[in-house]
Amino acid sequence: MLDRVLVVDDSNAIRAFVRASLEATGHARVVIEAASGFEALRVLPRDRFDVVIVDINMPDIHGLEVIKLVRASKAHAAVPMLAISSEGASKDRERALALGADAWLDKPFTPESLLRSIDGVVEKRAGSIRGVGGEPA
Amino acid sequence: MSDEADRVRDEFLSESQEIVEALSRDLLLLDHGQKHGHADPDLVNSVFRGVHTLKGIAGMFNYRELSEVANVLEDLLDHVRLGRVTLEQRSLDVLFEGVEVLQRLLGAVRGESHQVDVASFRHAAHDLLGTGSPPTPDALEAYDLDPSLLGVLTEYEEHRLRTNAEQRVPLYRARVRFALSSIDTDLDGLKARLKPVAEIITYLPSVEGSGDDAIELEILLASSTPLAELRLLVGDAPIDVVPLRKGGSQTMPPPPSRPEAGPIVREEAPRPITAPLDLEKRGGEGVEGIALRAVAKTVRVDITKLDHLMNVIGELGIVRSAVGRIVDRLGARAELRQLASELQRIHRSFERHLEALQDGVLDVRMVPLGQTFDRLARAMRQAAREDTKEVRLSVTGGETEVDKLIVEELIDPLLHLIRNAVGHGIERREERVASGKDPVGIIALNAYQKGSNVVIEIEDDGAGIDAERVLARAISRGLVDASSANELDEHAIRQFVFLPGFSTTDVVTELSGRGVGLDVVRTNIARLGGVIDLQSAPGIGTKFTLTLPITLAILSALVMRVGEQTFAIPLTVVQEALFLDPDGVSLIDGREMISLRGTSLPVVRLQELFRTAPSSTARQYVVVTSLGQRRLGLVVDALEGQQDIVTKPLGPSLAGVRGFAGATDLGDQRVVLVLDAPALLDEVLSSEARFLAAPEPARGGYA
Amino acid sequence: MTATHPLPLVGAPAEVALATSPRTAVARAVREDGATQELLAFEVDDAKMALPLGAVKEILKVAPITAVPRAPRAVLGILSVRGHITTIVSLRATLGLAPLDALPRSARILLVDRGVEVVGVLVDAVTEVLRLTPAEIEAADVVGAGLAEHVRGIGRPAGTSDVVVLLDPIALLRPLDATRRGG
Repeated sequence: MLDRVLVVDDSNAIRAFVRASLEATGHARVVIEAASGFEALRVLPRDRFDVVIVDINMPDIHGLEVIKLVRASKAHAAVPMLAISSEGASKDRERALALGADAWLDKPFTPESLLRSIDGVVEKRAGSIRGVGGEPA
Repeated sequence: MSDEADRVRDEFLSESQEIVEALSRDLLLLDHGQKHGHADPDLVNSVFRGVHTLKGIAGMFNYRELSEVANVLEDLLDHVRLGRVTLEQRSLDVLFEGVEVLQRLLGAVRGESHQVDVASFRHAAHDLLGTGSPPTPDALEAYDLDPSLLGVLTEYEEHRLRTNAEQRVPLYRARVRFALSSIDTDLDGLKARLKPVAEIITYLPSVEGSGDDAIELEILLASSTPLAELRLLVGDAPIDVVPLRKGGSQTMPPPPSRPEAGPIVREEAPRPITAPLDLEKRGGEGVEGIALRAVAKTVRVDITKLDHLMNVIGELGIVRSAVGRIVDRLGARAELRQLASELQRIHRSFERHLEALQDGVLDVRMVPLGQTFDRLARAMRQAAREDTKEVRLSVTGGETEVDKLIVEELIDPLLHLIRNAVGHGIERREERVASGKDPVGIIALNAYQKGSNVVIEIEDDGAGIDAERVLARAISRGLVDASSANELDEHAIRQFVFLPGFSTTDVVTELSGRGVGLDVVRTNIARLGGVIDLQSAPGIGTKFTLTLPITLAILSALVMRVGEQTFAIPLTVVQEALFLDPDGVSLIDGREMISLRGTSLPVVRLQELFRTAPSSTARQYVVVTSLGQRRLGLVVDALEGQQDIVTKPLGPSLAGVRGFAGATDLGDQRVVLVLDAPALLDEVLSSEARFLAAPEPARGGYA
Repeated sequence: MTATHPLPLVGAPAEVALATSPRTAVARAVREDGATQELLAFEVDDAKMALPLGAVKEILKVAPITAVPRAPRAVLGILSVRGHITTIVSLRATLGLAPLDALPRSARILLVDRGVEVVGVLVDAVTEVLRLTPAEIEAADVVGAGLAEHVRGIGRPAGTSDVVVLLDPIALLRPLDATRRGG
């Protein structure tokens, strides 16, 4: 079970959906919500997360920027990150992955596909951390 | 688990509703902008993003049709924002239609509406998408752009950058540092200052400059304003602006030296007012505002739960009155005085807390009128389009707060009045020009609080209401007797438009009617404890004034006695109460009148009107009720005082009984009737029409 | 055969009846020949009458009724029943009988569901719950013409000389609709 998951999305409904999917299934102990890129920037330095889920399409500071900042920060450089967005804008998808998102999940998604994707990014990062041997869990 | 599912679904519904409302608001602004030659790309993007979010969440919650329509609309908007479809009247109409369809589909999800025609919108959108022009060669290459910069731009941002480059709008980058704690407001301030002169393409948080409590942003700007002026406009804020270098050089201009301890931009300057539309102000806080504010500290509450709380508070109020009476009775007995004063103290404290509780719950029920006004604006636009009239809407007071339930009940009457104003008020362009008016009509929607009431005005600068024609129609429909009509002044005559049977199917159009007349509007307003008044001047315009209580849940009422019977009347309509001087009553044309500070006031004895048992009170009172311009004195036997009441409806068996808005439980096992003041005024004044025999013979010409 | 049941008569409203709607109760009474019918019997002007038990929600003691000026003649006024404003009609007035000078102590208000609303019907006294077999009931069309619309039939409980007028609650209270404004 994951301890802390951050979900960054300007949609209340999506955040509620993610929270319900993770908390109700016992997949995560607590889901922390940020309703904008700024919120995320405010929350990130104060906390540690097991997974960060980022929506790409947000006003002002959008998901790509959040991904870039997260990757550039010391504390979260290796956090598993899942980008979520609606299909289309394939350039955004490429860029998100290039900037350091570990996977991309198209909206709409089901709770099952969300859980699968999260497991995927967590595994991927765990592998790379072992490889580098840095960052403690 | 299923509670959780319901909660998430509620979240979906309310967010969808918010999005659709924001969409229509933004579209209106776009429409306005487009007509004035500048459609704000930010707004286009904001509309796009709203539709995009809606599509996403509708898909997640398996509302296939909603998601599909949002998808079509999104495609269309994507083309618009990427410049492949021009924003013009035709495309705007299709966008409006799309949002309307979304609105109806949402209604269907909530079970309110049934059949939604999606096909016509699909076709229109399809046709429009076929008209797109091919993309032009890339002008961005002229700029020397850091690939790492491009890598963080979304496709849309890249497009905006490219478009500006193509149009040879100079590009700049600016660096600014904000405290994380105040970034929302700081950024809003910056946006407000830059907006009139520049397009903000993106905010790039810079990795190096950001710490735990501050963040440095690199802002990409496009602006035709000279750099010096731009720097000046950005002001003394620690922002440095440098042009984005073109070709040749391999490196970006060195980042301007960062201010050391990260001074924080404080925005005090007033927001620039750029458009006459007051909507603009709220447009700024549209989707972004909601998203930025949406910290997880709010909950949404089903209004029925608040109603339940309100009922409990109402019941507590009844308990309070009952305890108050016991205190009085105890106080009257010498040996219990000590006990009485203790109880009195507790009673007062109870009263205070109850009031605080009531205020708290009432406050939760309050919503600003803004959203309603947005809907009206949309309806007005549609009405104007279908009626080929040119109308501009001016709105003030959208922030005025009213009970949520009142707002809901207000929508239909207000829609009706708006459609009326477009359909019957505003003249066609030619007529307006011929009479020397501005060719574009104005409809003003104003709201403000006045004491414990909210006043909403709907005013047009149209043709006005011709009193002669109203009178002729009222006579021909048998609503008024031709001989008694002689004595009516124009204002009184115009009130006939509120009579049942005045507006009939022959004036009902698709737009202004839906088969509902102004009498229904007035009935609906009266049901909310409100009143509606009409003023009009031929050739100048018409103003409807709605006065409503701020909340429905609890009304302040005057409790009064007539013979053996007790009645309550909402204080909203009570102007004052005074002793009746029996010698001061004169009989004019069969109607009793008294003189009130030099004016004649018609009075009616409730005992006679209601045929209740006669009383033998020596002293009687006149309760002066007023409704807009009309006044009527109600003669009663005693005033029992003021009390907060919860009005409950009478059953269907009594629906035909005029004069009562409902009944209320006063707490001492007494149920009393609540008078329906508008109905009484109508009954006594309008139908008999004798009250105007009094002074004021002045009749300024003919309409 | 006749069975008499004690009736709960308390100051606070008491549930006496099943939660069937009057429509289904009437329909069943008419259709289901062969089944025993449960009826609430009461007195009005020395006549014994009855309503289907299913149509009577509660029996209330008489509380002060607030008169409603301009109401139809049969309407006595309104009463708050647990916070709900309830219209009270006089069965005497509804049937065109003269009102009593003073209400007897035995007077009760029956809360009757008439479909569109629950109204209180004031009767002189409630007597019993009757169970009548089909043999004990003469349907209105058998009794013959001349009966009012609201009379469903005549009950003659076996072993007694009683005559009970069986009322149809919806037809009985239909005149209340006539006062509604036509649109």
